[in-house]
Amino acid sequence: MKAMVFSEKADLSSQMLTLFRNTFEMDLYTTSNENLLNFGAKNVFKLTGNNLYVDNISEKLAEMYKNNGYDIIIIGSSAMGREISSLLSEILHLEAITEVMKIEPKDGIIATERFFYGGKTVIREESEAKIFTVLPGLVDPQPVNSSSTENNISIDKDSAIKVVDQIEKPKSSVNLEKADIIVSAGRGIGKKEGLAVIQQLADVLHGEVGGSRPVCLDYHWLSEERQVGLSGKRVKPKVYVACGISGQVQHIAGMRGSRMVIAINKDKNAPIFNECDYGIVGDLYAVIPKLIEAMKK
Amino acid sequence: MYNIIVCFKQILDIDQMKVDESTQEPILKNLPYRLEDLSKNAIEEAVRIKEKYGGKVIGITYGGDQATLAMKEALAMGVDEGIILKGYKENNPEITSDVLAKKISGMQYDIIIMGNQSADSYTGLVPGKVARKLSIPLVGNAIKLEMADRRVRITRTGEEKNLVLESNLPALVTVEQEINEPRLPPLIQIMAAGRKPMKIEEIQVNVKSTKKVIWNRAPKSERKRIVFEDVDKGVAEISKVLKGEVK
Ligand SMILES: Cc1cc2nc3c(=O)[nH]c(=O)nc-3n(C[C@H](O)[C@H](O)[C@H](O)COP(=O)(O)OP(=O)(O)OC[C@H]3O[C@@H](n4cnc5c(N)ncnc54)[C@H](O)[C@@H]3O)c2cc1C
Ligand SMILES: Nc1ncnc2c1ncn2[C@@H]1O[C@H](COP(=O)(O)O)[C@@H](O)[C@H]1O
Repeated sequence: MKAMVFSEKADLSSQMLTLFRNTFEMDLYTTSNENLLNFGAKNVFKLTGNNLYVDNISEKLAEMYKNNGYDIIIIGSSAMGREISSLLSEILHLEAITEVMKIEPKDGIIATERFFYGGKTVIREESEAKIFTVLPGLVDPQPVNSSSTENNISIDKDSAIKVVDQIEKPKSSVNLEKADIIVSAGRGIGKKEGLAVIQQLADVLHGEVGGSRPVCLDYHWLSEERQVGLSGKRVKPKVYVACGISGQVQHIAGMRGSRMVIAINKDKNAPIFNECDYGIVGDLYAVIPKLIEAMKK
Repeated sequence: MYNIIVCFKQILDIDQMKVDESTQEPILKNLPYRLEDLSKNAIEEAVRIKEKYGGKVIGITYGGDQATLAMKEALAMGVDEGIILKGYKENNPEITSDVLAKKISGMQYDIIIMGNQSADSYTGLVPGKVARKLSIPLVGNAIKLEMADRRVRITRTGEEKNLVLESNLPALVTVEQEINEPRLPPLIQIMAAGRKPMKIEEIQVNVKSTKKVIWNRAPKSERKRIVFEDVDKGVAEISKVLKGEVK
């Protein structure tokens, strides 16, 4: 089967090529400028243009899909990737399934697995869908020895949407997906200064600091790249320490792969205690200093 | 003055959802319904546009028998008129987008607001599909929204940078959770909501989907669940375990 693969991001592109190289013959389409010629795609098409956005990219991809006889479309799951998949599904009249963790083709039918009920369950579906978006972080990208043919495609059509400004964000400073130990802060820290004690515990454990969505997105106490969960990073450390995190499904979905989970929460009915190996019921400002002291002994 | 349409979804309360220990399947019986999280942000933003720039908000939900409940909450939050499209059975973006687009195509509107991904199914396909069916721009993932000169301007989050985007109207905008804090309507408004216009239309679906559910169950949790209410004892035990992990 021949697959058209798209992602605007280099890491997602190389992950998808690694993940599916034994299942499909693949061509990669990307707007990334990084070198992606060594991950097993037959062709790498670089999309260029002055005003690239989801609408004109989708139209170009639809045209390439029709002209090149692809069987399926695999797109990296990001805000842009999901939007492109929804537009492509309408332009080409093909069914789409988003955020999948698995794609297994068999006799014209494709089985997929994805999170459901906010991350509480995993749903396995079979369909004749042809468009899929794939979650990030499912594999470590592995290069191959052969090299892809490089091609350029310029998109001349303007987007209906005008980019009037771009606000750079600070460059990524952590790779939580690779961390062995993560200490995460939740809304329960109550104030930004509370991060100091979380950092101290992370230091003693030689780990990284992560956070729940409110801490990263709503209050901006931590940067977005430290958000663990369904819409953040999916992490799998040896030890995950959740401090002042209630344990809502969307958070659990991101840390379920941890080998050991430790929870500190003052509410003994907090759902996080059902998802932990060890828990302490108590005020984190009282518990963590004691834990740090005990670790230093 | 703007004609604003907001689409929202009612979902099962996933935070109260329990799992059957023997089958790992979710127990859906007697589970209450609630407004979907991002849909609430969409309603809040639609009402804020009206309050700031003037206009009228029409709320649309494609739902099941309990949909009136969701509609009343939306009306209480400030939506002016409600349309319930009845006949929703399960999460299926092919069907939902078709039903919503068919209804909206016969209406007057400048801007349509939706959530970017729904909190239960997490598909994020409905907005783009509806926008394309209506041949209007999809302006996605807003964390800030302003209207000016019959145009909409949003700030869109991205991993490396945020983009400020502008589009002509009509357009379909999706919002992220960060964009606002949905209001909790006071009791008096909830009572008053009952007097706002609300239409119910039965929908016949004629869209086919090839999707079949094979199973839907919770991943097995093998956690030990050893919880200490005595802090000192907990600290002693857990530090011992941690020392074995951290070298
Ligand atoms: C579509 C969607 C996607 C989402 N994606 C994510 C995601 O990727 N990641 C994510 O985290 N969330 C996500 N969420 C949000 C999620 O539903 C929860 O709202 C969020 O996880 C709650 O964060 P929290 O546990 O930090 O805060 P809360 O739920 O407010 O919990 C705070 C906890 O701290 C405890 N506490 C308070 N004070 C103290 C103290 N002094 N000492 C100890 N404990 C204390 C409280 O008992 C409480 O349990 C998503 C939601 C939606 C709708
Ligand atoms: N049944 C529905 N009725 C009305 N709006 C919906 C429905 N389903 C989804 N939406 C809208 O589409 C957004 C994204 O949903 P989804 O594409 O299902 O993830 C939601 O936040 C709603 O704004």
